[in-house]
Amino acid sequence: MTLFTAKDISAFYGRSHVLDRVDLPDLSDNQVLGLLGPNASGKSTLMRCLSGEKPTEGQIAIDGETRADMGHDGWHHRLAAMPQTPPNPSALLPTELMWSTARALDLDFSDKELGDQIEDIFKRLGLAEVALSPLHTLSGGKRQLVGLALALMRDPDVLLLDEPTSALDLHWRMVVLDLVRERLAERGGVVIAALHDLDLAARYCDRIVLLHRGKIIASGTPSEVLTPANLARVYRVETRVTSDEDGRPIVHVIRPLRDVEPA
Amino acid sequence: MTEIGVTLYQRFGSIHKRRLGMVSLLAVGVVVMLGLDLWAGPAGLAFSDIISGLIDPDQLDLRHRIILWDVRLPDALIALAVGAALGLAGIETQTILDNPLASPFTLGVSSAAVLGASLAIVVVPVVPFFAEAAVLPVMALLFALGSGVLILAIVRWSNGARETVVLFGIALVFLCNALTAGLQYIASAEAVQQIVFWTIGNLTRAGWPEVAMVSACFLCVLPFSLRHVWVMTLLRGGEAHARSMGINVARLRLWVILRVSLLAAFAVCFVGAIGFIGLVGPHIARLMLGEDHRMLVPGSALCGALILSCASFLSKALIPGVIIPVGILTAVVGVPVFLGLLSGRRRMA
Repeated sequence: MTLFTAKDISAFYGRSHVLDRVDLPDLSDNQVLGLLGPNASGKSTLMRCLSGEKPTEGQIAIDGETRADMGHDGWHHRLAAMPQTPPNPSALLPTELMWSTARALDLDFSDKELGDQIEDIFKRLGLAEVALSPLHTLSGGKRQLVGLALALMRDPDVLLLDEPTSALDLHWRMVVLDLVRERLAERGGVVIAALHDLDLAARYCDRIVLLHRGKIIASGTPSEVLTPANLARVYRVETRVTSDEDGRPIVHVIRPLRDVEPA
Repeated sequence: MTEIGVTLYQRFGSIHKRRLGMVSLLAVGVVVMLGLDLWAGPAGLAFSDIISGLIDPDQLDLRHRIILWDVRLPDALIALAVGAALGLAGIETQTILDNPLASPFTLGVSSAAVLGASLAIVVVPVVPFFAEAAVLPVMALLFALGSGVLILAIVRWSNGARETVVLFGIALVFLCNALTAGLQYIASAEAVQQIVFWTIGNLTRAGWPEVAMVSACFLCVLPFSLRHVWVMTLLRGGEAHARSMGINVARLRLWVILRVSLLAAFAVCFVGAIGFIGLVGPHIARLMLGEDHRMLVPGSALCGALILSCASFLSKALIPGVIIPVGILTAVVGVPVFLGLLSGRRRMA
């Protein structure tokens, strides 16, 4: 059982307010929260605050315990974050990256167990073929999957994904998000994902938070949040929203709006 | 590619074993090169005399004993110690700054050492009671360590931003070079010649105390480098991922640059600004051993030692009776090896 709460989060770069008292809905087992918003809306900053990488005012807690309560190691044992940028295209092998990360973090695996664990994750993500190929020979999409593998290795209760599918093609986008869903069904836990793709968000998220200039514009189920009025305000586009047979919203973008007042 | 029935763990293990073999090969190469380096020289000592003289010095006559124990052995050992220190400093700098062009010299440590040495050469003859031979390495060391302290302050102040560190290092190089040029402008022709000679780099100035100091510095730093091999390996995947794992990259950068400054300062202060090894030693090691720092850290130190030892051998063997300053030869030896490995890698890919 996992309960993730994040309340009253503010963040600054220099003097400018990037996040202004953001409250996220409470997330309990098996829930996926989607963070939506245009570029520079504060999604990545919010992700970095949630992971503990960027210091912030406000209360972030797993099962009522904050990072300060759990200590650095305890916190990172329960929460893992996948950053937006894929791993560097160096001559490092994906297996070496996983292996050294596990060892640097003192994860409690024997060599054999660790090898099997890495092989298992790579197989699920379609990386078994490239497990021993230098990262610079991999496509951006494959490297992004290696980044995801890295976040999954600790088997975290709280998984933060910053644009996990930005470099992936249609097939792998769905494979990745299906896998994330499957994993939740198997072992519980919560996922927070910053996403660009509205339809993907509508399809995979239980809750959506729409961010704009560091503030929450709307928060709720996909059909509550993805309305033409909200999307016009935040993304400055005219849209028509229909729904599929399961009642999930489908967003059709019609044209950009020029004369919308900046919210 | 995936062989049926062979697990990833087994395949990864066999890669690791192959690399371990390469490191052992490098170690053997260093020992062989040390032997060649001891053997080369104008005195005409036979190879068998050297072996027996090393085991039992009393077997040699006095002249040969002095040549072997007081001239050749310190020179050959300082080549290994300086080469290993620069190779280790090089790999750590390149990884921590994520920059293949970085070396201890980009951080300004050696330019500062040259400035310190130049100051000693120009000023000391004016001041009585100080012997230049003693003051010169001390000044070089103090200036090199001083530049290290400045770089560390910048790392702290910029919270470990690597572009800032590299840019500051380059600015420091230019500043030290300008000040050295200023000293040369006011110095006598003889002093200028001495400065130039020091800058080229030369192993023959070293004796046993110098060998002991550079080796001690290397051996003190090495365990700390080995303790960080895992986190340095994962850093090759990018800073963003290391940070998101909860690794404090800024603090790590501070520790690594402290190590690099110490290594580079001790390496150059006795033998002069021998460049190139800190840059290319790590690259040669990387081409042979991949990115796993468990192998790369010892491998890079061994590569550095091997290059400088080889240069030291050639400096005596190339023109019989003449000792060419070793700094001239390091690049001449290292570049062909480097290009050979690089083209070999191309053909394989």
